[in-house]
Amino acid sequence: MSVEHVLTTCPYCGTGCYFFLQVVDGRLVGVVPCKTDEISLGRLCIKGYNAHAFVQHPDRLKHPMIRIDGELKPVSWDDALGRFAEELRRIREKHGPDSIAILASAKCTNEDNYLFQKLARAVVGTNNVDHCARLCHASTVTGLLYSFGSGAMTNTVPEFEKADCILVTGSNTLEAHPLIGSRILRALDRGAKVIVIDPRDTPLSRLATIKLNQISGTDIAWINGMIKLIIDEGLYDEDFVNARTEAFEELKEAVKGYNLAKVESITGIPGQMLAEAARVYAKSKKAMVAYAMGVTQHSNGTDLVKALANLSMVTGHIGKESTGLNPLRGQCNVQGACDAGGLPNLFPGYQRVDDKSARAKFEAAWGVRLPEKPGLTLTCAIEEAAAGKLKAMVVFGENVMLSDPDLNHVEEALKKLELLVVADIFPTETIKFAHIVLPAACYAEKDGTFTSTDRAIRVLRKAVDPPGEALPDWQIACDIGRRLGSKGFEFSSSAQIMDEMASVTPIYAGIDHARADNTVLRWPCPAKDHPGTRILHTQKFTKGLGTFAPVHHSPPAEETSEDYPLILTTGRNLFQYHTGTMTRRSPKLEREAPEPYAEVNRADAKRLGVSDGERVMVSSRRGSIALKARVTERIIQGSIFIPFHYAEAAANRLTNAALDPDSKIPEFKVCAVRLEKA
Amino acid sequence: MSDFNPTILAFCCNWCSYAGADLAGVSRLQMPPNVHVVRVMCSASVKGEYILKAISQGVDGVLVLGCHIGDCHYMTGNHRTAKRIPVVQKLLKDVGFDERRVRLDWVSAAEGEKFQRVITEFVEEIKGLGPNPVREVMS
Amino acid sequence: MSDLGKKLASIAFDELGADYLLAMREEHGNVAPVMLARGQDPGEIRLDVPYQLVNILSNIYPWLKDGKVAVVTRRCDEKALEEFFKRELFDPRRILKIGLACSKEQVAKCRCSDPVPAKTHIGEPQKAMEKDELSEKLMAMPPEERLRFWAYQFKKCNKCFACTLTCPVCFCDECILEEKTFVPEPGIPPGMSFHLIRAYHLADKCIECGECERSCPAEIPLLTLRKLLAKDVKEIFGFAPGDRKTVSPLLTVLEEGCNEC
Repeated sequence: MSVEHVLTTCPYCGTGCYFFLQVVDGRLVGVVPCKTDEISLGRLCIKGYNAHAFVQHPDRLKHPMIRIDGELKPVSWDDALGRFAEELRRIREKHGPDSIAILASAKCTNEDNYLFQKLARAVVGTNNVDHCARLCHASTVTGLLYSFGSGAMTNTVPEFEKADCILVTGSNTLEAHPLIGSRILRALDRGAKVIVIDPRDTPLSRLATIKLNQISGTDIAWINGMIKLIIDEGLYDEDFVNARTEAFEELKEAVKGYNLAKVESITGIPGQMLAEAARVYAKSKKAMVAYAMGVTQHSNGTDLVKALANLSMVTGHIGKESTGLNPLRGQCNVQGACDAGGLPNLFPGYQRVDDKSARAKFEAAWGVRLPEKPGLTLTCAIEEAAAGKLKAMVVFGENVMLSDPDLNHVEEALKKLELLVVADIFPTETIKFAHIVLPAACYAEKDGTFTSTDRAIRVLRKAVDPPGEALPDWQIACDIGRRLGSKGFEFSSSAQIMDEMASVTPIYAGIDHARADNTVLRWPCPAKDHPGTRILHTQKFTKGLGTFAPVHHSPPAEETSEDYPLILTTGRNLFQYHTGTMTRRSPKLEREAPEPYAEVNRADAKRLGVSDGERVMVSSRRGSIALKARVTERIIQGSIFIPFHYAEAAANRLTNAALDPDSKIPEFKVCAVRLEKA
Repeated sequence: MSDFNPTILAFCCNWCSYAGADLAGVSRLQMPPNVHVVRVMCSASVKGEYILKAISQGVDGVLVLGCHIGDCHYMTGNHRTAKRIPVVQKLLKDVGFDERRVRLDWVSAAEGEKFQRVITEFVEEIKGLGPNPVREVMS
Repeated sequence: MSDLGKKLASIAFDELGADYLLAMREEHGNVAPVMLARGQDPGEIRLDVPYQLVNILSNIYPWLKDGKVAVVTRRCDEKALEEFFKRELFDPRRILKIGLACSKEQVAKCRCSDPVPAKTHIGEPQKAMEKDELSEKLMAMPPEERLRFWAYQFKKCNKCFACTLTCPVCFCDECILEEKTFVPEPGIPPGMSFHLIRAYHLADKCIECGECERSCPAEIPLLTLRKLLAKDVKEIFGFAPGDRKTVSPLLTVLEEGCNEC
């Protein structure tokens, strides 16, 4: 009889809560929060409490499979990996390394991701490596690299509760990041002012001090309007602007035209209310901005992020305790997957692949010549596959057939591939198109680290054995690397992988498993005796001076028309997570939110003759789905909201794959649709 | 609050109070029309949860009517009710509702007039209390 | 092995004759619940972090085939165990208690009116707290203001179910709070019924350990709500939970000559 409480990290959002998995004789029986954890403070959300529920689910993939005569048949690891290596080699020889793309995963560990990108770069010889950060915070990375030189949260999760003002935009914090939401509630209880600007009423906005609803896709207008008012009323931080930033004159020029009346006509936010919000934010001593996908998932997402950066710099609200700009990352290790180099233009630690000295460093470390051309993004890889130029795709733990925009198009692309390899924990929608399927271990079955949204290294500890023959992703990557003839994949533990990653990644140089085991380290952590960094940009910005970017409002890529008169915006709900592979197999979560729905404003519903709970058909120029209407005041008139978790009515059949030019993030948050009775 | 028309839920036990209501009906006794009657087998089958949900959903008043103590078709069902309702009332009071929004009374099958009186008094009382504030405070 | 660990192991295995010990210890820079078998090194035992060990035990208990478990029990844990024994969910012969007297700080945090275990093995018994300030403040308010206070608190709820999951005396197999019939709101926050039904459900069970309040991400003062109702139940029936020999007044008939009828 053995009873263990294994401390590990939650596999859902990027907050990075620790909890204990209760294991009785190899059986997972529950989750117990960790009371001494500085992030969660011994609290969890409903997903955290149910994080054990899917792990030992009978649907788990247990054996490697190869598609034979159209059907997936179980085979041995040796056969599966042998075929995998052979096919990769064949395609590389025939079509060149750039005909292959590897998708890393924001749900795998730093160590897994480091190996995925190493596999692509050092073994296949391509920079075609990307992951779903492309779909969530790619524009944060490009935007903040431009403005600050570092694309991550400037502060830590615990700091939220000490702020005097928190401006939340494009983030449904209480549902998508419940334990960060909990800190915001603590601040609110303390008397802090919380401003929520969102096209939807969220659980947080209903408690907020100031709540503003803008029309989807008009964010730069209100941000510029705020900046103009702050400059005009002398509320900007002149000392900070002079000492720490550049291009202020350009900013002043850019926002000149955004007077309150004009902003109101674009955004629908009453001018006086916006002015009040601007004043509250500017005058507060400690002011935080928190944002998420409502900001990033636009075809001008990078500009939008830069606009928010402008707002924090102009008020000097950055680089101090409880004062900064904070993109909330949505997956357990999306920060880490970016840090570990799972991006087509960046080596681990945001070192550019087209930078000669960075490349020389990695060439020396890995002992091979590396490609210099930045690779394909996830969204572009789908394009190239559809065009027949990309021949092979290796997908580690992603479900592109539900998470990517314009699914009908994705389906066409996947069907054209000569080789699609998927390593995952459950049979996903993507696996229906795979030629080779590899069963992977989930978070509870392996050791490693995640990097949470506030740059903290969170440790995963193995609690139970993987089902059947499933293996941790890093072991799969090592095996395939060796089969392709590389010598750089001789690892016997994930700790060794972290050691190698730290040796080539300056911001991780001081990190190893032994240190992370009992202390909370946040990057940059440049040396073994460095305590890690809680607040970024305190003395100077990572790039030196912060750069103001003159950005302008532009309409979304797709506007409403007579045929498609409503704006669709997509997102999450509290109970489901992403494509639902894990949450929909967790009975308590599925019970709370079992079916797809479209939130429709009461007035729109009345006009369309739709009542609450009625089945409706929602169509865009790309497809249509049938689901139930949820008539509510929670969304503004003219917009509807559909969560993207549900395969049976996949919101991404409707969404527009219009891409932000800099970051290639798709515009999940705005597309034109029509709603009618089904 | 003269134009306030309260919504009232009355749980009536099958054996006594519902029959009492019937008697009031066939006797053509005049009663305010605000009451929705829910017939239950015994007042004891009215869980406290039902009452709490009704109040949480904005019902202005809840009446639970059963057989007199000693007359219960199930011997001691109404004993349970008698013990349960004060707890529900106190809980409502603790969170700031008026506990008079929930009332327990006994009406036998022969007491058509009492049924009329209880209903009329309760409706008047709730009218005096005004609308249930729950919707407004939770919005 | 620390002194505390040594002492605890000796009480559990030598004095009480247990096969397992359920306590807390330092692991990975945090404090973890730990179940030790006889002979295992207890390590750096820490009893200053209030894990709800009875709740944790209830998760494990169905899998425990045999053997006796010694549990570090505060006074509230003892009462929780009594509720388990009363329902025959635990075999009292298999559960052994190591009495822990809560620190003064912990007593203050819980506004605890009953902090001293039946037999204290560890810690110095502290004086009980007479009152809960928030309770008194709330009950002195006009009711409308009190309702607004609770409504604001309940609107912060994000339905994590921590208050039921971490509660040692939530016994139902099927939770009524998961049913749309009783909590009809889709999404969050759940309506007021969620909180009222939960409070009512525990009227004759809650042993005021305060775990719901500690676990609540929205920091709703749930213990205060529980204390208010506990006071009422005490006043109406003279009953308080936590003794296996007493029966809940909500399950019994009226006494003869009672003036309720």
